[in-house]
Amino acid sequence: MTKALSFINDKRVRDWIYQIAVVVFLVGITVFFVRNASENMVKAGIASGFDFLWRTSGIEVPFVLTGYTQADNILGLFWVGVANTMLVTVIAIVLATLLGFVVGIARLSSHWLVSTIAGAYIEFVRNIPLLFFVLFWYFGVIAALPAPRQSISLFGVAFLNNRGVTIPLPDGMENFRIAGLVILACVLVYGAFSVWARRRRERTGQQAPTLAAGFVLLLAVPLLALVWATLATRWDVPALRGFNYRGGFAVIPEFVALLAALVTYTAGFIAEIVRGGIQSVSHGQTEAGSALGLRSGQILRLVTIPQALRVMIPPMTNQYLNVLKNSSFGAAIAYPDVVSLFMGSALNNTGQAIEIIAMTLAVYLVIGLAVSALMNWYNARIALVTR
Amino acid sequence: MLAAGISFAQAQQLAPSPTLDAVKARGNLECGVHLGLPGFSFANDKGEWSGLDVDYCKALAAAVLGDASKVKYTPTSVQQRWPILQSGQVDVLSRNSTITFSRNATLGLNFQGINFYEGQTFIVRKSTGVKEAEGLDGASVCVAAGSTEEKNAADWFRERNLKVTITNFQKNDDAITAYDSGRCDAYTAGVGALAGQRAKLKVPDEHIILTKPISNDPQGPVTRWGDERWQLIVRWVLNGTIAAEALGVTSKNVDEMKANSKNSEVRRLLGAEGGFGAMMGLSNDWMYNAIKQVGNYGESYERTVGMGSALKLERGQNQLWTKGGLLFTPPFQ
Repeated sequence: MTKALSFINDKRVRDWIYQIAVVVFLVGITVFFVRNASENMVKAGIASGFDFLWRTSGIEVPFVLTGYTQADNILGLFWVGVANTMLVTVIAIVLATLLGFVVGIARLSSHWLVSTIAGAYIEFVRNIPLLFFVLFWYFGVIAALPAPRQSISLFGVAFLNNRGVTIPLPDGMENFRIAGLVILACVLVYGAFSVWARRRRERTGQQAPTLAAGFVLLLAVPLLALVWATLATRWDVPALRGFNYRGGFAVIPEFVALLAALVTYTAGFIAEIVRGGIQSVSHGQTEAGSALGLRSGQILRLVTIPQALRVMIPPMTNQYLNVLKNSSFGAAIAYPDVVSLFMGSALNNTGQAIEIIAMTLAVYLVIGLAVSALMNWYNARIALVTR
Repeated sequence: MLAAGISFAQAQQLAPSPTLDAVKARGNLECGVHLGLPGFSFANDKGEWSGLDVDYCKALAAAVLGDASKVKYTPTSVQQRWPILQSGQVDVLSRNSTITFSRNATLGLNFQGINFYEGQTFIVRKSTGVKEAEGLDGASVCVAAGSTEEKNAADWFRERNLKVTITNFQKNDDAITAYDSGRCDAYTAGVGALAGQRAKLKVPDEHIILTKPISNDPQGPVTRWGDERWQLIVRWVLNGTIAAEALGVTSKNVDEMKANSKNSEVRRLLGAEGGFGAMMGLSNDWMYNAIKQVGNYGESYERTVGMGSALKLERGQNQLWTKGGLLFTPPFQ
């Protein structure tokens, strides 16, 4: 008797009981809803299950990265949507981070005009809904570009008009693969060289010409390789025929507008995170840096930003997840992302609302958890190690 | 014993109709319509609905409740229309939606006849000089995502080896706005929808609607599976409005016809004999009320999309079969 009581009184045992009770409750509720929904669907004569994924989709998508054609099945359409969502998310995250850093640092500038402009931009962006930006870029900026016949020509090979940007596409990638290998080899050689040079410097104090080696291996040779590959490849240059430019690769205006909206919008929030992160580093660190004789650029790069990063990573993770979720605003302007293609076209064609919404949800959940896992790993790596 | 026998006989005749009972108890008909498509389903600034699809809702309300005004309209988007009907939020969907096999087979939907034969076509700028769909090679076309038009257009151009970029918008209105802003060379939808939406363009006169349709899109009222008697009512009210036109019964002469007509089919339609309304659990003057208050199909057509309206659509396929069109109803016999 007392033994059983002490078992219940054990905090760890009780914790386990609570946890199990919560899990059982959640699973039970889920099972209840799923069964309820499927029974009602059977009663109403609505087909359920995932068989519809193998039906021919028949939907034409203007922006495809996966080799999908209209004759493929709905699962193929799903992957087109996922790829397009990921493409715009990844590029938007990179560009928004760059722009956010520039604006955030500009906000802290001692130059009045620079910091005021940056401040005004941040306040403007943070107080306006994202949908406004999406529609502004789409209908305000991109739609205002000239029609195909009056396209803005960039060196006669790329063309900008209200149908997007058409750029030349290489006929084959072989030459670029060779150039890529050459560049990779250069980077490896440079890495080995700099390791050797550092060891020698530590051992003998002699400087090796790392700067010159870097110039040759990281700049001159790669540039030459790329120029050679560009010249040696046959290019499919877009040409005006009928309604629009044919040939080359067309970047659709929906992509450009969504990307521009996500970048300009998110950069405002990232700028504030950067500002907060930098201001969290105590002024004593800057003074210590200048006492060592570092210049202000060096202090920012070597002392302040590495410490500020630790504060910035967790809120940055949130912003990156927001970019992922906000990419669904593309549905408002016909960007073929997973929401627009799968939850829009496929859902309307098949009527399989529950399955399609669940799959779309899973896409965001999986990508979102992956992004936050990556950021958490990075956060743990750069965290201040105290002993 | 006798009472039990009578009620058994009645039960044999009239299977329960949960939808009809709910409509009667509620005192109004819940009708799903289009968000706003001039000629078919459109609310004016006073919130009064009108249009061909709306007229069907009114006729059904008049037949079931005796009053055409007892309708509650639920505007639905392309995305919402099926779930709203499936979940029972509306009793019937009267919203220019194409009848297709897969919708019938997999969505738990039934299509109760055709109130508008439609063909899909394109609207283009006059300045492009395009006269028929074949001329759209290389063009970019805006369309509403998930519509039958989206797939029709993709199939049609692929079969002819024409390269067309199709951009899918979530709403018809977004697609036409994008077309108007120059994003697309053409916008595709049914003839009726295009005629209605053309008015929304900045300069309607700069655009033409291509005359030759690329598809056949029959449309009509939709019900969900499982309530056969309600389906019967929905189907025969539609048949009744068409039969009325064929039999020469109009909202003007319906009283006179009911009182004096020698034609038995007219008399059965209007409840003067036969007791047809009671067979479905309605009053026998069900079609009398519908025609008196809303008019026959032809009157409705002229007022909403025909020559008496802003759309000015010819009767075309939507003419009675006796006059060269496709409208045909089984007899009231």
